[in-house]
Amino acid sequence: MDPVAATTFPISGLLLAGSVAALAASLWLLLPKTSDTANSRRLGFLLGTAALIGFAATGRSLGCVGEDAVFLTVAGIAVISGLATIVTRSPVYSAIWFAMALAGVSGVLLVLGAQFLGVATIVVYAGAILVMFLFVLMLAQPSGMAPYDRVSNEPMLAAAAGAVLLGLLTLSIGRLSAAEPPSCCRMPSRAQGMAAAAPAEGAASEDDGSIAPATAGVESVDADEVAHLGAELFGRHLFAVEVAGVLLLVALVGSIAVVSRGEATETDHRRESR
Amino acid sequence: MNLLPSAATLAALVKIGLLVGGLMTAAAYLVLLERWIAAWVQDRRGPNRVGIPLTKIRLFGLGQPLADGLKIILKEDFTPSGVDRVLYNAAPLVILAASLAIFAAIPFGSVLPPLGIPGLPDPVPFLVAPGLDVGVLWVFALSSIAVYGVLLGGWASNNKYGFLGGLRSSAQLVAYEIPLGLGLLGVVLAAGSLRLDTIMNVQAESGVWYAFAQPLGFIVFMVASFAEAARLPFDLPEAEQELVGGYHTEYSGIKLLLFLVAEFLHMITAAFLIVILFLGGWHLWGVTGSSQEIGWIQALLRFGILSGKILGVIVFFMLVRWSWPRFRFDQLMNLAWKVMLPLGLLNLVTVATVEEFRPQLVAALGPGFAGAVAIALPWIACLAGWLVAGVFTPSGTDNTPILTHDPLDIERELAEHERLERSPHIVSPTELAGSR
Repeated sequence: MDPVAATTFPISGLLLAGSVAALAASLWLLLPKTSDTANSRRLGFLLGTAALIGFAATGRSLGCVGEDAVFLTVAGIAVISGLATIVTRSPVYSAIWFAMALAGVSGVLLVLGAQFLGVATIVVYAGAILVMFLFVLMLAQPSGMAPYDRVSNEPMLAAAAGAVLLGLLTLSIGRLSAAEPPSCCRMPSRAQGMAAAAPAEGAASEDDGSIAPATAGVESVDADEVAHLGAELFGRHLFAVEVAGVLLLVALVGSIAVVSRGEATETDHRRESR
Repeated sequence: MNLLPSAATLAALVKIGLLVGGLMTAAAYLVLLERWIAAWVQDRRGPNRVGIPLTKIRLFGLGQPLADGLKIILKEDFTPSGVDRVLYNAAPLVILAASLAIFAAIPFGSVLPPLGIPGLPDPVPFLVAPGLDVGVLWVFALSSIAVYGVLLGGWASNNKYGFLGGLRSSAQLVAYEIPLGLGLLGVVLAAGSLRLDTIMNVQAESGVWYAFAQPLGFIVFMVASFAEAARLPFDLPEAEQELVGGYHTEYSGIKLLLFLVAEFLHMITAAFLIVILFLGGWHLWGVTGSSQEIGWIQALLRFGILSGKILGVIVFFMLVRWSWPRFRFDQLMNLAWKVMLPLGLLNLVTVATVEEFRPQLVAALGPGFAGAVAIALPWIACLAGWLVAGVFTPSGTDNTPILTHDPLDIERELAEHERLERSPHIVSPTELAGSR
């Protein structure tokens, strides 16, 4: 444990370590393996629930969980669907859980006031890419694992790495929040609500001095968020946008070249036979 | 804690109630209208008997939707064996929820005159979510979510016809989303906003509907929205004659009703978008002003004009259904990728050029003449695009039968095979490996 965090949050540090361990164990139990039993999955579910509650409790003691019911709902959907995506056996269900996770993420972005990003997530990922995934999954009707899946399938390492990464992220957010309490968890919509409804909230650790600039910043962005984003993308980041566009174009041309190599002989056949 | 909802929340709830009620009623009566138009086109009488229940009053058959609805709700809700139950039950809900949620961002009128209710910002717009800055994208996102309903419904019902319908549908919807987006982008560029109410206001202020300023965009968007709504020239996902209904083959009772209502909602959405984006929304020259401060008569008039235009577009949709045969699948894809996509790009480039140089045009020619040039250029582009598309039509779009030989003619097949083996044009695998 990091000494700074441990001294600042002695209980939450322990809680965090416990949650990480429980999450790793539950993920290992839940991830598709050859040695699966119903009991091990049940235990995995229990541990996973405990780990999620643990993480939520850590967040609360770090002062990072808002009271906003909408935010909690969409964030919960995102997290639980994300977990379900990796532990579900059926690929089709996996894809649908992934779509749910994207919907949750998009909801989080909408709550944060990033309307364009929120809706674009749905349009690009859920609307186009994932539909293609589903399309292929349904056509292929895969059963069991392909050889390359068996090689790369390491449930224990993956579970441990994922859980530790999550724990470190939580820890670093906690340290950020220890340095300047409100900024880590202050969501724009909540900040605006707070500014309107005065200090009705009982979160005593937050001082008003840091709320005011945050609110002002949010409003200046919110006034014309899409135009602002567009100006930023095609002004300061124009080169990156263009390069990304060219990269996609090259990929497109490449894929067509790969496909048409196989098909050229086909059309030749037909032309010959006429 | 104050448990009473605020005035703004109440206003939103009232709007949602009105909109959902209105849409459901409209969908029911549009079915009747569609059957009447079908009867008129085919020289029949159509449904004209069901009137007020338990009386002998017929009312031109206006009771038909009620009877149809009752019948389909009371039918047995049969679930075939071997279906994936969770997805089978979820699919109709997904598609209906997505089709209804689209209307959160679609304005269904202009604004109400100030009501003076405390806590409610005046004037009240005819729009459920007036704070949404990305209205057009919201519509786009949710219509792409509706694809899930079709795809999952077809897959989960464990039926070849249903599955084929679902696959066709997802390919078609994904392909036509691109021309749809290109047609839309032209309007967004010209209006400078992603909000549908702002787009209507801009058209009302200038008096030039985008159908006149961007004819090519209008055509591309119209064709693509026919495909997105899966109406007849593009109804391959359902194709009663070949797929017995496509993705909802196995559905019955109220679940089938949900699918059918969602389909009608898609058509209504398409009509709303065509009217709002290209036909001026609530604006009509000399009848409605362009001001945001209006009285009750003006507000109702605008609502009426918008509804009338939408009804007109829907009648057009229904007439097209009986005027065009269904496309073949390769024709569908050729039309999307080889005709509509380039035309949409052409429109976008033209509009972008006009908008970029509009200030210079106004400075050089004066506002009136510059406006005329700004309209004339897209028309020239439209004509040129139409000519090029007509001359270089992709071969897949014609209906000339492809000559194929009888697959049962074994001798010919063998001769053909032998001839191909000797043909120098075909590269054998060993040669291919050698050349690498």
